[in-house]
Amino acid sequence: MEILSYGFMQRAVVTGMAISILAGVVSVFVVLRRVSFVGSGISHAAFGGVAIGFLAGVNPVITAMIYSILVAFGIEKISSKGRVAEDTAIGVFFSSSMALGIVLISLSKSYNVDLFGYLFGSILAISESEMWLTITVTIVILAAIMMIMKELLFTTFNEELAIVSGIPTRLIKSLFLLSMAVAIVISIKVVGIILVSALLVIPGAVAQLLSRSFYPMLLISCSVALFSTIAGLYLSYQFDLSPGGTIVLISTALFFAAVLRARK
Amino acid sequence: MKALEIKNLSIVLSGKEILKDINLSLEEGKFLGIVGPNGSGKTTFLKSILGLIKPLAGMVRVLGKSSEECLSEGVFGYVPQHLNLDINFPARAIDVVTMGLYGRLGFFRWPSKKDKEKASEYIALIGMSGHENFPFGEMSGGEQQRISIARALASNPKILILDEPSTGIDVVGQEDFYHLLKGFQMRLGLTIIMVSHDIGAVTAYVDEIACLNKILYYHGAPLGALDENVLGRLYGKNVDILIHSDVCDKCERLRK
Repeated sequence: MEILSYGFMQRAVVTGMAISILAGVVSVFVVLRRVSFVGSGISHAAFGGVAIGFLAGVNPVITAMIYSILVAFGIEKISSKGRVAEDTAIGVFFSSSMALGIVLISLSKSYNVDLFGYLFGSILAISESEMWLTITVTIVILAAIMMIMKELLFTTFNEELAIVSGIPTRLIKSLFLLSMAVAIVISIKVVGIILVSALLVIPGAVAQLLSRSFYPMLLISCSVALFSTIAGLYLSYQFDLSPGGTIVLISTALFFAAVLRARK
Repeated sequence: MKALEIKNLSIVLSGKEILKDINLSLEEGKFLGIVGPNGSGKTTFLKSILGLIKPLAGMVRVLGKSSEECLSEGVFGYVPQHLNLDINFPARAIDVVTMGLYGRLGFFRWPSKKDKEKASEYIALIGMSGHENFPFGEMSGGEQQRISIARALASNPKILILDEPSTGIDVVGQEDFYHLLKGFQMRLGLTIIMVSHDIGAVTAYVDEIACLNKILYYHGAPLGALDENVLGRLYGKNVDILIHSDVCDKCERLRK
């Protein structure tokens, strides 16, 4: 356990655990609502937000969060009218935000090494203030999801039935979209923009394969996320691997194990 | 009081006229059957009563109120034709029935043990005791329909709205099914509005029938709807009309 004697590792473990629980919960609804591609779109769009932060000299996490929330609602707004398919809207925002990021970074002249931290994750370089920010955001978002959880489940089950039962489905869907965007941006630190959607899809996918009712699914999803993060951190330290990549590969291994088990 | 009052209702969806100038009223506690060919606007008609589709013109009043007011008060129990549900959706039958109570519980409040017991009672009421913990997505069409009705009843509605509820139920089961609905109408004092393909069976159970194909061809006592004139105009000329009687012609023929 000497690994835990390093301050950077303690912060990585605590931050990783907070994000795992958040991702585990959000992931269940990402899978059930079939919005994993929306998650992927939002995370890549966050790159544009990060670049704005770099250029403006503001904390990139904050600009990425605002930008991603706007993109999430932009995708929803444009595709809700039915004239543009959702995956088309995501495709447009996804690539244009990446393009905006590339143009803005090229404007800033000084080549920024920090950028790689956002693209591939930098969980081992998390500062104490970032750790506390992550924990606070996690608690706020989890509380918001807990508040609307049964309504969100009903809306996911069948939206028209939820409306007929008097549930404000538009509010519920917006709150979930907001939670998803915030969860994505806050998770970028752990595995990076490129891999963050894995964290929001795989735990829920494994859980769906192994459970037949909701609460076990929630529990399995959080356990898969927690196990992948902790095991990923440990293995990456032992074998000097990229922590973000290792975490995602471990959860992928769990996914295939679950597929094999579910086939029996 | 009038359960339903519809005046000059017209609905246009994506530029296509679905319903035109519908006038209909229904007393509380009645069982109304709605028949009509495929694509005649039956589902749209139900959704306009539920407030899920906004009319182009006209007025819908439910128990003297607008559909929006009724939605927030949980007046309706709704059983749609299809749920389009993933077979792996993580909900057991009891979970689905409990959803019927969610609207009244409010944020942050979870169904209590008492709520679950109530849900079990409704499952028993529709004759599905013992199926509480069965995964809903893996149930047959007929079983899902029954559980859906238990869910709709659990919300304690004043008006039960069903869209082709007998889809997925075999012919013998259908008789039981309509009988069950009739029982709920009598026992719970429910107003029931049901869309169905099955004119013959419907006429045996409903109090009133409405024949719909973009316009309302007929509304009144069910036997009047069996008039060849009404059915001919509703479905077109190439229609064979089979009347249900106490003795089933087909069964008799098969027996011989």
